[in-house]
Amino acid sequence: MTTPATSQRRPQAPIAPEIPERIQRVGKALVAPLASVLFAFAVGAIIILFSGGNPIEAYQGLFCGGLGVFCTGDTYGSVAAPYRISETLVFTTPLILTGFSVAIAFRAGLFNIGGEGQLIMGAISSAVVGIHFATWPGWLLLPATLLAGILGGAVWGGIVGVLKAYTGAHEVVTTIMLNYVAIFFLQYLVTGGPLQLPGQTQVSPPIGVGANLPKLFPQAAQVFGLPGSVYRVHTGIFIALICAGIFYFLLMRTTLGYEIRAVGQSQRAARYAGVSAQRTIVKTMLIAGAFAGLAGAIQTTGIYHNLPIGYQNDTTGFDAIGVALLGQNSAIGVILSAILFAALHVGSSVMQSNAGVPASLVAMLQGLILFSIAANFLRSMKLRLPALRQAPVGTAPLPPGVAAIETEMDSSAELDTDVKA
Amino acid sequence: MNAVLQILGLFFTAGLWQLALELGALLLLPALGGTISERSGVVNIAMEGMMLTGAFTAVVTDLVWHNALLATLAAAISGGLMALIHAVVSIRFRADQIISGFAINIFAFGLTTFLIDKMTNFQGAAHVPQAYTLPVITVPVLSNIPFLGQVLFQQNIMVYVALALLVGMNIMLFRTRLGLRIRAVGEHPQAADTAGINVYTLRYGAVIASGLLSGLGGAFLSIGINNVFLPNMTDGAGYIALAAMIFGKWKPFGAFVACMIFGIGEAIYANNSTIHISQYLLNTLPYILTIVVLAAFVGKSAAPAADGLPYEPGVE
Repeated sequence: MTTPATSQRRPQAPIAPEIPERIQRVGKALVAPLASVLFAFAVGAIIILFSGGNPIEAYQGLFCGGLGVFCTGDTYGSVAAPYRISETLVFTTPLILTGFSVAIAFRAGLFNIGGEGQLIMGAISSAVVGIHFATWPGWLLLPATLLAGILGGAVWGGIVGVLKAYTGAHEVVTTIMLNYVAIFFLQYLVTGGPLQLPGQTQVSPPIGVGANLPKLFPQAAQVFGLPGSVYRVHTGIFIALICAGIFYFLLMRTTLGYEIRAVGQSQRAARYAGVSAQRTIVKTMLIAGAFAGLAGAIQTTGIYHNLPIGYQNDTTGFDAIGVALLGQNSAIGVILSAILFAALHVGSSVMQSNAGVPASLVAMLQGLILFSIAANFLRSMKLRLPALRQAPVGTAPLPPGVAAIETEMDSSAELDTDVKA
Repeated sequence: MNAVLQILGLFFTAGLWQLALELGALLLLPALGGTISERSGVVNIAMEGMMLTGAFTAVVTDLVWHNALLATLAAAISGGLMALIHAVVSIRFRADQIISGFAINIFAFGLTTFLIDKMTNFQGAAHVPQAYTLPVITVPVLSNIPFLGQVLFQQNIMVYVALALLVGMNIMLFRTRLGLRIRAVGEHPQAADTAGINVYTLRYGAVIASGLLSGLGGAFLSIGINNVFLPNMTDGAGYIALAAMIFGKWKPFGAFVACMIFGIGEAIYANNSTIHISQYLLNTLPYILTIVVLAAFVGKSAAPAADGLPYEPGVE
């Protein structure tokens, strides 16, 4: 979360003179996210201990179940690692895309809690096209369904942008409301509505076969010792990776990207530079919605091949907020944290069934990661360090909770109020 | 057309208004919490998580001590503790208040689900005997008034508590020195600090108060309206309360009106078996209405001027 501006303002001792600046920068960018993850796992371990569980066994389960590593011992020896990795990639794909949705909004100073609604509208629109034009050939149908998803999500995000830009309606509230509207609309469509499969409840007819995204592995062959049909991982992961390139290029190499970042830094300064904040906000939300909508379209064409009611329990669009923040709203960062969040999600069921630690531990870890990133505990600790050195011997530093009671009155310029990168 | 007439017909039944007031009061408690927190300048979207924590604590305490009032008190305190985390992170560490609030919601969901799974061995639900729930108070004589008696004087005890808190909060915010100070801290903390008001103390107090109120709302949900705790049982009620607060322009009575609109919407929804329109489409109405009202009438001017800005002494 350290903005480039902050690091320039604060004279920093070089880590070591012989390390190239580029590597130093990467290292510095990694410190805060890694520390946040470690903080979350440490607090999580305490909670597991207090609830009578074994933190090592639990975390082993998370990593074995999510990434296929450390699968040893009686508890996890029988877990099929290749299948777990495939599942993690399945969850990574929509997380990367919704992560970009949240991240690009953050870059413009907007908080998009509506990734979930935009994803659902993308899934609905793509399913409508996939079902309605089922007879079209694949080379036409697949792009059409994906495009429909992009448009559906963009409209849902665009509404938020227009309302924010021209009426001042806060995007946090409008996105939350639109999430509800989207989920109820989906429930209506497949429960007694026009998309319900006749004779079935709560599911739509399948989309045309041509709209199915190809799977990564041949279905008939043996892959890593298991039948290829058990692997759900599909080529949508490549679409997500291409989008990473688009996200980077758009943000860093185009005028629009410059405008988005300018508005995110300061709307007033952006106006002086001749940037219309209003139009930039609308464009940003259109793009944010498009990313999330594509995620929904990929779920339709890659995983479900229809419109299930199961989206009511989907949390991808919410997890994406953690993904974007942990990834510091950068292309590579979002990919890495999407893999982490997907692995946690996929691993949690293995942890619950094999080690008896409830899967909801993962939600707690996500919350803790967010706290840690938002509060930037590291920076606060660094600032407190001189004070700690002067403390008399034997005085233990106060834990954050207690230390917070004493209000800190230093007017250091290093404490920038701007948290959003 | 027929469906519209059926809905209109519902408005002439006392049952609809009775239920609407009950559900409105449920939303009012966290909405009042949000109001006081944001009036002091701390954005609070964490009512959802604090409510969920309160709902969980109420059920657990009630199961241990068989005392609904004690359980309600414990629920309020647990909500206050969650709020304390939000306060520390956003006031002391000057974190982004929306992210911190969102983190509270995720964390509270994870924590309560984790604990209920541990306690019930993955059954995922804990029931409280009906005898230990918060009682419905039937006011003698007054409850015999036709129509109004059923609506106003046959309600759960928490409905009366919520209405009393509504009046109390309005007087406190707009008629007392303390309220003036809270509003001053939310509008212009530098000026308030110069005038000798402790910005941090007031903000901590206001945020913790929002947790107490949301915790009460949680207890009302789990051991008043229901007699069970289920994972994620608040199901967005805290977010609706947030919308109601904004809808009501950061004023207690404004929030109450908005809560009643949601309450009426949900009460109609609860009667959906008699209406021939998709319950799901019906369910979207309060949310769409909120967006429309927000866009058309509220705008951006109504929020306290320093809402969401961490206070740093000496920085203008």
